Amino acid sequence: MLHIARLTWNFFRIGILNELQYRANFFIQLLQSLIALAVGLVGLSLVFSHTTALGGWSRPELLAVMGVHLMMGGLIRMTIQPNMQRLMGDVREGTLDYALTKPADSQALVSVRQIQLWQGVDVLMGLGVLAVATLQLQAVLSIRVALAFVAALLCGGLMVYAFWLILTTGAFWVIRMEHIVELFDGVYAAGRYPVSLYPDWLRTGLTFLVPVAFAVTVPAEAITGRLTSTTLLQAFGLALALLAVARWFWFFGLRHYAGASA
Amino acid sequence: MPLIHVAQLCKTYQVPEREAGLGAALRSLVRRKTRAVKAVDAISFDIDAGEVVGFLGPNGAGKTTTLKMLSGLLHPTGGAASVLGFQPQRREAAFLRQITLVMGNRNQLQWDIPALDSFELNRTIYALPAAEFRRTRDEYIALMEVGDLVRKPVRNLSLGERMKMELIGALLHRPQVLFLDEPTLGLDVTMQRRLRAFVAEYNRRTGATVLLTSHYMADVEALCKRVLVIHHGRLLYDGGLSGLAERFAAYKTIGVTLDADTAGAVAWDAYGEVVERDGAHVRLRVPKAETARMTAQLLADQPVIDLTVEDPPIEDVIERVFAAGTAEASHA
Repeated sequence: MLHIARLTWNFFRIGILNELQYRANFFIQLLQSLIALAVGLVGLSLVFSHTTALGGWSRPELLAVMGVHLMMGGLIRMTIQPNMQRLMGDVREGTLDYALTKPADSQALVSVRQIQLWQGVDVLMGLGVLAVATLQLQAVLSIRVALAFVAALLCGGLMVYAFWLILTTGAFWVIRMEHIVELFDGVYAAGRYPVSLYPDWLRTGLTFLVPVAFAVTVPAEAITGRLTSTTLLQAFGLALALLAVARWFWFFGLRHYAGASA
Repeated sequence: MPLIHVAQLCKTYQVPEREAGLGAALRSLVRRKTRAVKAVDAISFDIDAGEVVGFLGPNGAGKTTTLKMLSGLLHPTGGAASVLGFQPQRREAAFLRQITLVMGNRNQLQWDIPALDSFELNRTIYALPAAEFRRTRDEYIALMEVGDLVRKPVRNLSLGERMKMELIGALLHRPQVLFLDEPTLGLDVTMQRRLRAFVAEYNRRTGATVLLTSHYMADVEALCKRVLVIHHGRLLYDGGLSGLAERFAAYKTIGVTLDADTAGAVAWDAYGEVVERDGAHVRLRVPKAETARMTAQLLADQPVIDLTVEDPPIEDVIERVFAAGTAEASHA
């Protein structure tokens, strides 16, 4: 475990070194984040110019959902997505061979190698939106609520990671998988609103097929005082199960890995 | 117990197969036809600690597949391999810590940062003690004379400079077994020589075992006392480089020097095929069995100033081995 922690830290350090060379990316990212934020806010005010509540969610509550959505999206694009994209590239080009001949846990190694620092802008902006939402809600942020929120966020993040790893492991059989990035982005966009607003079939899909519900709605429920301990336990159980499946599938995939030819 | 033991090792790939054209492509969507391709077909050999062995074969012969099985990347479909007493495909950390894999056509250093930072990363991966790591790193940097390059981003280095860094990075943990797959690919002659010298020096200092594939015979001639020749997944030859010429070369080259006046009048074709003629010096190609007789005859007939008998260049020999292998395979 300590070894993995050291590795993660070192890759993180190198990732930052890498990213600092491309400072222009920071401003591009800032612009993108601001546009995304503006679009989100305009959408919200459009909705609430007609009504005061949407499926039982008030305006500040939906703002909180938006904050979590921004933040989680940033986290995914900062840590999970770049690693999985690099993994796909490595499978295609055969450079995965190098990762697999290292004396470290292969799954851990391929999961911590890459970081896109500037996506952190979205994380900060999401946190800002979340802070404004909490102020508007005039909710008392007890330690219990904060802990539940962090726990829900962690479970959701781990589920998204496991989901991504399972998809990416598919690259061992299907070499070209880049388009799943766009597919995921498309589905993730649906998480901007609480999944309870969607029809049953879509809600089920967003909960169990692509874990958007657990990544965004459930943490937002924690902030808005809707989260039951049953849901949190479910999130925890599902996260563990998905992680186990992802790990099993990764090693199953490795046995079938034939490598890009010489 | 040999350091590397390979017995009846096999690897079969299932490759999708279809005719050209749209119709066939559509049909293959529904029913995918695959064909089994034997990349490595029951090869066996042993390598002792400290040996430097060259692995020769044309493209697609099964060299890389064998190296990948020995480094634990591929699971064999048959037979067994053991390296340092480990089963490679189990990829135990204790095994991986003692080996390294270098592929000339793929790099593992981080592109945008100086090599020094990538080395640091390897230190963490292999959990090397800081002092020992620094000593090894500085030793290699001095040996390769790259002190002024390690701080440049890798993307700004030339191919040869980058390969030097790759090799340094791959040896920082002082592995006991080196799998080098075309490490000098695409490099100029001087750079090839530098890398070769480095590998030889590493082998001398650490007693490490090296298994090397290369298309440059110079690499193999300089480094390897022993070669394994593989073709169509089968082992055709295992032994010394000189033995290879003895066994497979069908002819020898006789170099003769006469004085300038006589040389012009000699009917050389009576002795053998003229390969090269430069004034009074002539090189003749003679069937191996005839060498002794022709040499005697030349000495008896002509006023010879100098005479040499040489094996053909090793490239020619290898080509003959592959040609023989192909004929053998098509008979089988």
